[in-house]
Amino acid sequence: MEPFRMEQQETNGQFVLKLGGELDLAVVPQLQAAVEPYLRRTDLAMVLDLEGLKYIDSTGIGIIVSILKTRDSVNAPFYVRHIPPTVRRLFDMTGLSGYLKEEAGA
Amino acid sequence: MKAVRLQIPADADYIDLVRNNLLGVATKLGFSFEEIEDMKVAVSEACSNAVLHGAKEETGGVIDVSFEFDTAGLVIRVVNYGVPFAYSDARKAASGIQGNHPSELRVGGLGIYLMEALMDEVEMSSDEQRTEVRLMKYRG
Repeated sequence: MEPFRMEQQETNGQFVLKLGGELDLAVVPQLQAAVEPYLRRTDLAMVLDLEGLKYIDSTGIGIIVSILKTRDSVNAPFYVRHIPPTVRRLFDMTGLSGYLKEEAGA
Repeated sequence: MKAVRLQIPADADYIDLVRNNLLGVATKLGFSFEEIEDMKVAVSEACSNAVLHGAKEETGGVIDVSFEFDTAGLVIRVVNYGVPFAYSDARKAASGIQGNHPSELRVGGLGIYLMEALMDEVEMSSDEQRTEVRLMKYRG
């Protein structure tokens, strides 16, 4: 059991949010609060780095979809990077993969 | 069937304990890593629904989870109490993410869609007293 964690960085025109541990219903408000101030920032690209993510379910996928929609509506870039295999499987299964822009990242 | 039972407060903070218990039981039964990952998501979806739609923790609401098993496989039951949930309508509406453009995307019913995709069988029932989700995974 690995608690959810977040680490954010703002560099080179990017807002990078690194997620780790288990993302489920319990921590959705935390994640929403972290992205909220940046959702409509068109001067920054938003990047979710999922490398440390051990678990995600429909609630986490729902947040990613809502980020995607908001970023699209303000015409601002949104990328994901380092999708772990178990997470990618769920992205594929739900159809989310088809809408994500992946970035190799550092 | 033998059974391992767990009761948690109807609060999202305790769903990780259900995943942890599932990991223990399913590992003991010899399920593969991938099968266990699938069941973790399915049981969490059932618990999330129970937290969102059932009697809440603040009013003493609980969720009963049981892991029942024999040589055929594992049955996970997730039961919550309180107002009935219209599962048959929810199942009909359940789907993956669809839409030609990001603005059209909607995620309602994704949890039920995942349960059905990840388990061998899913049964749901709901009346005035209780709502029950049964998730089945066959062995081998």
